[in-house]
Amino acid sequence: MDISIKEHERYASKANLSKGINDVQKAIDLLTKTREAVVADPQSASSTVTRAQKPLKDCFASVKEDLLEVYRGNGKYQKTLEAKFKDKPFPTSDNNALATQTPLINRAIAMHLLREGQFDVASQFLTDITSATHHPSPPSTTPTHSPSAEESLSSIDPIHSPTLRHSFEQMYSILSSLRQHRDLLPAIAWSRIRSQELENRGSNLEFELAQLQFIHLFDTQGRDAALAYARAEDHHFAHFQSRYLNELSRLASSLAYQPSLASSPYRALFLAQGTWDDLARSFTREFCSLLGLSAQSPLYIAATAGAIALPTLLKLQTIMKDKRAEWTTAQELPVEIPLPPSYQFHSIFVCPVSKEQTTDENPPMMMPCGHVVAQETLCRMARGSRFKCPYCPSESRPVDAVKLFM
Amino acid sequence: MAAELTTTKLNPESHLLLDQPLLRLPQELLRKNFKTAQKHFERENVLMQNELTKLGSSLRNGTTEATAAVKPLDAMIQRLHTLKRKMESLHEEEQVLHEASRRRLSHLNDLYEMNSLADVKYDQWSAVRLDRLLVEYMVRQGYSASAWALAREKGIEELVDLGVFDRCERVRRSLRGGSLDECLAWCAEYKVVMKKTDTSLEFELRLQQYIELCRRDRFVEARDHAKKYFPQYHEGHQEKISVAASLLAFKPDRRQHTWYSQTRWDELAALFIDTHHQLFSLPSQPLLLIALSAGLSALKTPSCHSKHASSTANASSTTTSVCPICSTELNELARKLPYAHHTKSYVENDPVVLVHEKEGRVYGRDRLLEYCKKIGLEEGFVKDPTSLHIWPASELKKVYIS
Repeated sequence: MDISIKEHERYASKANLSKGINDVQKAIDLLTKTREAVVADPQSASSTVTRAQKPLKDCFASVKEDLLEVYRGNGKYQKTLEAKFKDKPFPTSDNNALATQTPLINRAIAMHLLREGQFDVASQFLTDITSATHHPSPPSTTPTHSPSAEESLSSIDPIHSPTLRHSFEQMYSILSSLRQHRDLLPAIAWSRIRSQELENRGSNLEFELAQLQFIHLFDTQGRDAALAYARAEDHHFAHFQSRYLNELSRLASSLAYQPSLASSPYRALFLAQGTWDDLARSFTREFCSLLGLSAQSPLYIAATAGAIALPTLLKLQTIMKDKRAEWTTAQELPVEIPLPPSYQFHSIFVCPVSKEQTTDENPPMMMPCGHVVAQETLCRMARGSRFKCPYCPSESRPVDAVKLFM
Repeated sequence: MAAELTTTKLNPESHLLLDQPLLRLPQELLRKNFKTAQKHFERENVLMQNELTKLGSSLRNGTTEATAAVKPLDAMIQRLHTLKRKMESLHEEEQVLHEASRRRLSHLNDLYEMNSLADVKYDQWSAVRLDRLLVEYMVRQGYSASAWALAREKGIEELVDLGVFDRCERVRRSLRGGSLDECLAWCAEYKVVMKKTDTSLEFELRLQQYIELCRRDRFVEARDHAKKYFPQYHEGHQEKISVAASLLAFKPDRRQHTWYSQTRWDELAALFIDTHHQLFSLPSQPLLLIALSAGLSALKTPSCHSKHASSTANASSTTTSVCPICSTELNELARKLPYAHHTKSYVENDPVVLVHEKEGRVYGRDRLLEYCKKIGLEEGFVKDPTSLHIWPASELKKVYIS
């Protein structure tokens, strides 16, 4: 960074008022002495006072000089900052469609706070937004950007209902048992209730929790406790049998090695350090998914993606302003914004012929040869009759094409 | 996926964009702090030297007795003590601001230590940034208690300017409630640094005082007020000043002028916010909204608001993750925004398709088979994770996507 901490410290230690204060003190001392001299020798008061005039002037001159130094320092630092942010104007506000969406923004924030486990802040936030909607600041005649109270409340309503809050409270209480107390039972109880849904998703969570519980008991209380658990869970381990036969037999075999597990082929099973964290993560993920929510806060991902995208968008804004160009397709951004791969969620299909992204209105169509183009492209090429695939020699009819969902 | 379409490259220099106010705002406060000190000093500077010269000459020509010289000297010493005290408290404020800047600088410098956007440290840094943006949004919306609660909970009080925004919100509210006092006090405090901003705020406030006097039929006072305050604003506000003069001509019962309506107060509040944000180099809208409108579009795809379920990002299987734009939190918010521009298709490796009645769902072969294995499906069969149909594996068809 072009502003280093050292540079700032240098600036802060030089450009401050302390010297000026010292010089004001000198003026005070001077006048105090003058006063004493006048009291001690009233006869020469006139000359004493006159003699003090020059030194007082000097004192003030040095305070002035001290202040000037602060002024210069501030100015220089200000310039450094300006240079640093010179090419970075904030986007103009008139094209921000979000400015009028306060209730939706508030809802997103409230849900973010809940999913992050910030329950106290979330309650405060709900109180604040409710009182703000109930008492809009005194008789306002500009309802344009403050939607009516009912409107805001209805769109916020889902977060006012306690269900979501309870769900996340449950999630955090399960997570804290798991992480802090190594207590898996609440998580196991939850996964058992959700067993069918988890299985439909192809999730191994329920089994992994039971497995870790077995290992944990083995580790902390010995073989008998672990076996007792497995037996008590018998009906459940039986339920696991079809899907997890291999894993179950591994667990059973490991018991044979008991005193020297560390050198057994099963040590990975028992000594893996990250297991608890991994399990906590996959629990969070499954829990959120069953609520239809993504595992990481969408608000976090969107704000981070925004920070990554902004430099590109601002460059674009500057160029368009220079060229006085208007970007007309309000539907699609005019530039490609590269994001980290973990920020890609959907498959994207760009028609190789028209170069357009496919949409509901213009979906991707697969020809019998397995090649894909956008529907509009297909219609243009075919004109109702047989046509040749642009990628291979095979011919097909539009009716043979299959609509794809990516 | 082609390398140029995704990136984990982190360029801290261009990345620090939303963070400008972090450094600029304390600097503006420092400037104000300094100017205030200078103002205090300049007043004493001239006055003190005059006093002493005057005392000297009056002693010389005998107008003042030597014994009476102590009193003016005491008064001068007293004044200097007051000046010193004022400067000391400004110096304290200055140190707080310097320290705040230093910490903020150090927080921003952390970004320069990171290798890429995939760095875990970047995630942590970005989480702090989101908290900062949230606090700023809350305080700007007037949700002050939430803002403080979040800042405290996250320990980021030093990275947010709650004091400044709280004050701003208080002034805005009082203006909309029809009171000028808070705003006049603010102007008096910031007058020293307002010269560089081109604002008519002060004039409009004086004009409003005048209007209020007229509203209460206190025309004599109104005229005095106009004489006292309007001449300095004559240039640039001539038109309004002549309209103001005409207010005096209307009988109270015929006051139809728009200046008497609430709109005037709302406009004043808006003008104050403009002036305030301009003074502190703050964007006119919350930083969170700037970040979100860019981020939502960068992430949005045509699939996010499609009426058909997406094959790649949904909650139905453990091998997919829910897209943030499809998630309840943001879906409605992103609806009216443009979607991201892509020039190349992006699909999973080895895409295969399951066709059913002229419609096909595309999946990456490996991911589909992994899912089938995880749900314990019999070998030789595949299950469509979206429609939950089960097919013989021979129905899997390769699809070519370029």
